[in-house]
Amino acid sequence: MSKLYEGMFLLDNQVVRADWARAKSVVTDALQKHGAKVVTSRRWDERKLAYPIKGKRRATYLLTFFEIGGDGVNSMRRDFELDERVLRYLIIGSEALPEGELEKSQAELAEGFSVPTPPPDEEFVESEPEAPPAEEPAAEEMVPEAMAAAADGESAGERN
Amino acid sequence: MAMLDTRSRVPLKPIASKNCDDPKIDYKEIDYLAKFLTPQAQIHSRKRSGFCAQCQRELKEAIKRARHLGLLPFVG
Repeated sequence: MSKLYEGMFLLDNQVVRADWARAKSVVTDALQKHGAKVVTSRRWDERKLAYPIKGKRRATYLLTFFEIGGDGVNSMRRDFELDERVLRYLIIGSEALPEGELEKSQAELAEGFSVPTPPPDEEFVESEPEAPPAEEPAAEEMVPEAMAAAADGESAGERN
Repeated sequence: MAMLDTRSRVPLKPIASKNCDDPKIDYKEIDYLAKFLTPQAQIHSRKRSGFCAQCQRELKEAIKRARHLGLLPFVG
């Protein structure tokens, strides 16, 4: 007897930039290989991650609903763990398909549907460090000044 | 030493409604869940969130799922 599951998958943006359909098929093919019937699957979001995952700071989220029976979920977890293109996954049981999910998923099958290109992972460029030789003349100048200040202090002390 | 005047301190208003009928406790509702985190990304107590025991457990599970998927931070 099959049960409905909700699966959220994090996909590597490099795979998504190459081809969205191919990136999506990474997950859907693995699901079908283990005997699942994919009810819906769609791009949920592309966003910056709250913390780096496998060295990546941005990822694309794929939301799927699928039906599978028996112990199928446990066997497919191993495939997702081994695949480097899937950064993280979450599979939870679902009572019913949420409203509007089927329509959003079918909108991706329409002609002319395109996924915006994910921005590059590195959002800033590190600034070059300052040149060290610039500090040396200032250090050399400080020494005679320090000696002069010490000499003034001694003379002031003698006056007191 | 002067005693602290605790009578004038106004208690913080609970974040959620009292009836716990908010359907938005889902790991995908990040903007809503983020309201229940402290500035250090810790989950608020029931006193502050205003949830019943069951809803607080659902909130806890949703936030932890969102953290696992990188939608919410663990720290900061």
